[in-house]
Amino acid sequence: MTDTLFDPKWEWAFENASQALLETIQIAILASILGCFIALPLSFYASKATNQTTTTYIIYKSFLNFIRTIPDLFWAMLFTVAVGLGPFAGVLALVMFSMAIMGKLLSETIDSIDLGPLEAAKASGAKHNQAVFTSALPQILPNFTAYFLYIFELCIRASVILGLVGAGGVGRIIETQRIFLRFDRISPIIVLILFAVIAIEQFSVWLRRKIL
Amino acid sequence: MNIPNQPLNQKILKYLITVLIVVGSIWSASGLEITPDRIFSAPGKIWILISAMFPLDLSQEAIDRIVPKVAESLFIAWAGTVIGAIFSFPVSFLAANNVSLNSLSRMTKQVLNIIRAFPELILAFVLLPITGLGPLTGTLAVGIHSIGTLGKLSSEVIEGIDEGPLESIKSSGGSKLNELFFGVVPQVMPTITSYWLYRFEINLRASAVLGVVGAGGVGAELINQLRFRDFPRAGTVLVVTIAMVLIVDTISASIRRRIIKGREIKV
Repeated sequence: MTDTLFDPKWEWAFENASQALLETIQIAILASILGCFIALPLSFYASKATNQTTTTYIIYKSFLNFIRTIPDLFWAMLFTVAVGLGPFAGVLALVMFSMAIMGKLLSETIDSIDLGPLEAAKASGAKHNQAVFTSALPQILPNFTAYFLYIFELCIRASVILGLVGAGGVGRIIETQRIFLRFDRISPIIVLILFAVIAIEQFSVWLRRKIL
Repeated sequence: MNIPNQPLNQKILKYLITVLIVVGSIWSASGLEITPDRIFSAPGKIWILISAMFPLDLSQEAIDRIVPKVAESLFIAWAGTVIGAIFSFPVSFLAANNVSLNSLSRMTKQVLNIIRAFPELILAFVLLPITGLGPLTGTLAVGIHSIGTLGKLSSEVIEGIDEGPLESIKSSGGSKLNELFFGVVPQVMPTITSYWLYRFEINLRASAVLGVVGAGGVGAELINQLRFRDFPRAGTVLVVTIAMVLIVDTISASIRRRIIKGREIKV
């Protein structure tokens, strides 16, 4: 059975997997953008520095902790049952996944911001939200960008496997071929994924150096 | 008052990023057949699923089936982390460009990159025909992936060390090996240990899903219950898994804090 693993069927993989690989990348792009931008306001509520109300702080903090405990593929399974098979479930699953990571990373960054500008804004008459928007947000934007690119990479990796539970992307093809034990078809797909992931990662490293 | 104008190229960059994000998400959404009415009907459907899970199936039989599976996930994560820690530790010295040869460091880093590019589940796939169904495959998959990630993180820690102690060891007649043992290791050990624990937390989530491909752990249980539409029992699986992850996370986080920050001294 392992012999076929090392006898890849390249043409078959290019013909059948490239469309699904594109779908995988689209899922990752959409989910990381949505997840990170939903997490941006949430993490201000989940930080002691910008949210003095203890009850809402605890609620937001434990909400973020809670969604972080459920693994990405569990989300995908739940969403495929709830909204049906297909990439939409995958996007929802990865939105939860990236929201959880961004929420944790960003709220911890907000915890350690310089409180001086915040105070200055309030002293000159800004409301709490205005003060946060004008003096806390600019401080964390570089971190947000770096985390976003990191989460995008994670999402690319995670979206590859979503198809195993029917949530769209290239994993779907791997799953069907696995059932038929066609390891000669799986191995070229895995190599394709490897190249795509490495290429995207290099792009993201380049972008990070360019922006930051 | 004189407020300096924003430099033009920064403005262009700002708009470029905005356009990139908007165009990227629209292009992705159109390719995935995501329509507004699917989005708006999603919360209702999710609510139906959640309400189908309660009350949870807490019968003795369900508990007897689920708890050992959750424990198996825990064991896979721990064993995988140990494999990753043992193998990544020496490799990270090879990969760090300040203690290793330049060409060797570059080569090791590439190898680590390649290992990291495979998600655990894909690794489990490749290993399935070799080691068969069961937790051994899961452990190996988690372990190999951990070597990649831990190797990268540890080598970056080693690259960031203070060179002073190394120099003083060298000037007092220490060999290259002495430098590593007495100069590098004591400096990097706290951070690397905390990375091992952090990796254990991540591996716990990874090992929970490995069951989907038959590589052991609680994932198989969840996917089967969802397939047979036994939602109360699926809910139990979820709740037990969440509880286990929360407990382990809390313990591991407090140990990590203790390692990095030391004991808190009350004044």
